[in-house]
Amino acid sequence: MPNKLIDIIDVSKSFGDNLVLDELNLYIRENEFLTLLGPSGCGKTTLLRILGGFETPDKGKVIFDGKDITSIAPNKRQLNTVFQKYALFTHMTIAENIAFGLKIKNKPQSYINDKIRYALKLVNLEGFEERLPDSLSGGQQQRIAIARAIVNEPKVLLLDEPLGALDLKLRQDMQYELIRLKNELGITFIYVTHDQEEALTMSDTIVVMNQGYIQQIGTPEDIYNEPENAFVADFIGDSNIFDAIMVEDKLVKIVGVNFPCVDTGFGRNKPVDAVIRPEDIDLVKPEEGTLQGIVTHVIFKGVHYEMEVTANNYEWLVHSTDMFPVGTEVGIHVDPFDIQIMKKPESEDEEAVSVEE
Amino acid sequence: MKKILQNIYLTLIIIFLYAPIATLVVLSFNDSKTRSKWGGFTGKWYISLFKDDAIMNALYTTLIIALLSALIATVIGTAASLGIQAMHRRYRTFMMGVTNIPMLNADIVTGISLMLLFVACRFTMGFSTILMAHITFNIPYVILSVMPKLRQTNKHTYEAAMDLGASPVYAFFKVVFPDILPGVLSGFLLAFTMSLDDFVITHFTKGPGVDTLSTKIYSEVRKGIRPEMYALSTIMFVSVLLLLILINMNPSGKGHDKARAEKTMSNRRRFGRVLMTRVVPAVLTIVVIAGGFFYASRTNISGKEQVVVYNWGEYLDPQVIKMFEEETGISVVYEEYETNEIMYPKIQSGAIAYDVVCPSDYMIQRMIENDLLAEINWDNIPNIKNMDETYMKQSQQFDPGNKYSVPYCWGTVGILYNKTMVDEPIDSWSVLWDEKYKDNILMQDSVRDAFAVALKYLGYSLNSTDLDELNEARNLLIEQKPLVQAYVVDQVRDKMIGNEAAIGVIYSGEAIYTQWENPDLEYVIPKEGSNVWIDSWVIPKNAPNKENAEKFINFVCRPDIALMNFEFITYSTPNKAARALIEDPDIRNSEIAFPSSEQLADCETFRFLGDKNDAVYNELWREVKSK
Repeated sequence: MPNKLIDIIDVSKSFGDNLVLDELNLYIRENEFLTLLGPSGCGKTTLLRILGGFETPDKGKVIFDGKDITSIAPNKRQLNTVFQKYALFTHMTIAENIAFGLKIKNKPQSYINDKIRYALKLVNLEGFEERLPDSLSGGQQQRIAIARAIVNEPKVLLLDEPLGALDLKLRQDMQYELIRLKNELGITFIYVTHDQEEALTMSDTIVVMNQGYIQQIGTPEDIYNEPENAFVADFIGDSNIFDAIMVEDKLVKIVGVNFPCVDTGFGRNKPVDAVIRPEDIDLVKPEEGTLQGIVTHVIFKGVHYEMEVTANNYEWLVHSTDMFPVGTEVGIHVDPFDIQIMKKPESEDEEAVSVEE
Repeated sequence: MKKILQNIYLTLIIIFLYAPIATLVVLSFNDSKTRSKWGGFTGKWYISLFKDDAIMNALYTTLIIALLSALIATVIGTAASLGIQAMHRRYRTFMMGVTNIPMLNADIVTGISLMLLFVACRFTMGFSTILMAHITFNIPYVILSVMPKLRQTNKHTYEAAMDLGASPVYAFFKVVFPDILPGVLSGFLLAFTMSLDDFVITHFTKGPGVDTLSTKIYSEVRKGIRPEMYALSTIMFVSVLLLLILINMNPSGKGHDKARAEKTMSNRRRFGRVLMTRVVPAVLTIVVIAGGFFYASRTNISGKEQVVVYNWGEYLDPQVIKMFEEETGISVVYEEYETNEIMYPKIQSGAIAYDVVCPSDYMIQRMIENDLLAEINWDNIPNIKNMDETYMKQSQQFDPGNKYSVPYCWGTVGILYNKTMVDEPIDSWSVLWDEKYKDNILMQDSVRDAFAVALKYLGYSLNSTDLDELNEARNLLIEQKPLVQAYVVDQVRDKMIGNEAAIGVIYSGEAIYTQWENPDLEYVIPKEGSNVWIDSWVIPKNAPNKENAEKFINFVCRPDIALMNFEFITYSTPNKAARALIEDPDIRNSEIAFPSSEQLADCETFRFLGDKNDAVYNELWREVKSK
């Protein structure tokens, strides 16, 4: 495992009465593509701005490469940021935009010219040197913003919802572009987004945040398959989340029916949250299912059908490539390893728990 | 059809808006000095304008003040905008309101409050106070034009620059400033124009010897506007027009015009950029620095002995000032006023300490009564011996015992008539009530002058305070109204020269000048008697340089100097030695300039009648004018 590059220790930040980050701890490894994921207002952008040096934490430290950079000015940090709205300098040409940081560092003109050419090639915008930012499309501007940041050879690139303003197709193209860039450059990316699909596609590590707390840290697969609490489960992808009772180890009672599962150690007859992903529900013949229900809605989604099945007075969301017409009586079957059991928060405060790694 | 009507309407509006300016421009090329006659095309007013030291000095002061105040206001205003923009929304709205108020405030209120503040802080009124005042009223205009630009700029560009390694200052000038530059520039130009344009605030905050174009032009008005002023106004109009075109052409539409942006860095843009970043600042710097030296060289004398003279507009030969400075080494700070009533409050408030002032008779009386004058030490004025005793005696009407005043100019009020337009010799005020001359009569548009005519015609004193007499005079004036072509002040001169009227009430000094221009004109002091007025030098009580003031007064009493002034202003001189030096016997013996004592037998000077009686006069005059 590569070394820790950034260590965020006990960082708190509030704006007025609004506590945005609460004693947050997190480390980022070299060459990692780490995504801060969460709904707006969860503190992810504030965390990024603390890393960039645009905000100072009220409490706590930021260690970068072994040095405390908590109160170092943004222009003295070996980080570069790609801003949400690109923030290109509209009165400068593309070449001048890209050269901005290099000129400050007093690099020779020939070096700068090489870098401009290299960076434009990297983002597939060769020949755009003399254009003005306003004459470029959103996606092109975004790529220039990235080019402008990476020519400075930062150790870490901070990206603040860089694809937020782009349309779907462009966004997907740019996702691949970013992964390619990250691999070519071999530097650390810290990426902020509220789009779970973006996070799942690109990241090595996802940090799910809510209300100033980290909810879960893990690989995209971990986060998707093993959400640690209802918030993560709900936020990542579609899920069926049920109030359930852990009858005993490896047996959980959902909507009054016992389902075998693989989880242990929750005790006997304890209330828990059970999560079942819609694509993990198999619709079978009524007599083959653990319980029976009636199909109430069907929508064709392209890759699969999205269906709602009413069983024991609960709505079950099901994704399947096989279509069952509305009104069909079906059986519901879930494999034991597809049921994710989570401890129920005992109070409202605990809904947003701080998780230590 | 609709189209034609639209065009006609548009043409009418444009004519309505620009006809006055067109008239001004045309007159600035008129060879004749009067407004009513076209004497052929000439550029001579422009030439003499540029030769006139006083006007060029005022022009330069105006430009320097406009430039400096606009520059400083732009810096302060831009900084203020940045601060306001960074504020919490609630305070921001409040601050914007606060900064907008001075702009909506009436100029006169701003002017007076600034003057009061400067007086309270014991600032000496002068160049610096005008500059401070202009900076003050310019700042809101800068904020108003910078704020919208600042609001439009992407907040993150500044952070992006810092992120790329720029220091905050570098980031501001490289990234934020170019974004708001169009706003800053139009703020600067707006401030410049406002400063160029301002009269009221300058008027209240200026000190002696400093004049901007607007105050200069205003002080010229008393003697009738000189054609040089038309030329100057034309130049100002053209300059403001050019400035406005510049403001509207500044490169702001960048982002809106995709097609233009697409052309990458066109030559025009490059040129514009070089112009904005190199040429304009360089030119501004040179002008300011050169101007600073220029101005300093002009005002360097301030450390030396000086005398501050406050006189009527165009009431002293400028050559006299130069001679006085050369002979005595005392520098003269010279300022002009337009009417006694404008001069009086300035002296009374003590905001500016003047050394020598030249008020008229009744005003001297009022100033003596209000203890505003210092007694003159006659030992220092040996040249008083040149003065004709008659006028010293006349002066006693308002300055009993000749303690405070030295006569400078005097004259009478009489009738000017056109010999070719009247049948009989005129010798009485009665001609002003003669139906024959209906619509050919010009009356003075001022309360005391008009009532003096009526009171004298009725055989009363022109200082009458008897209500019955005054009512009688009022009725007489009302009766006269249908016959009068116009109630005017300065225009009597021009209209009479231009043969526009047959008879006019006029000051004797003007009469001599009109005769030079139109030999058909004749002046007479009516046999019922008239007003004889005297303007005299006095020294205010708070004069800081009383001895220099006395030297100055003594100097203008010297026969050769008095002669120079007489030839310059053409108003009668009370200096008998100077009169003896007049070469042209026609003028030396002119009955207009030097009427005999018989002619003056029934003439009186105006006296200050007290505030209450002033109010009575004004009320009666109002009744006349509104009937």
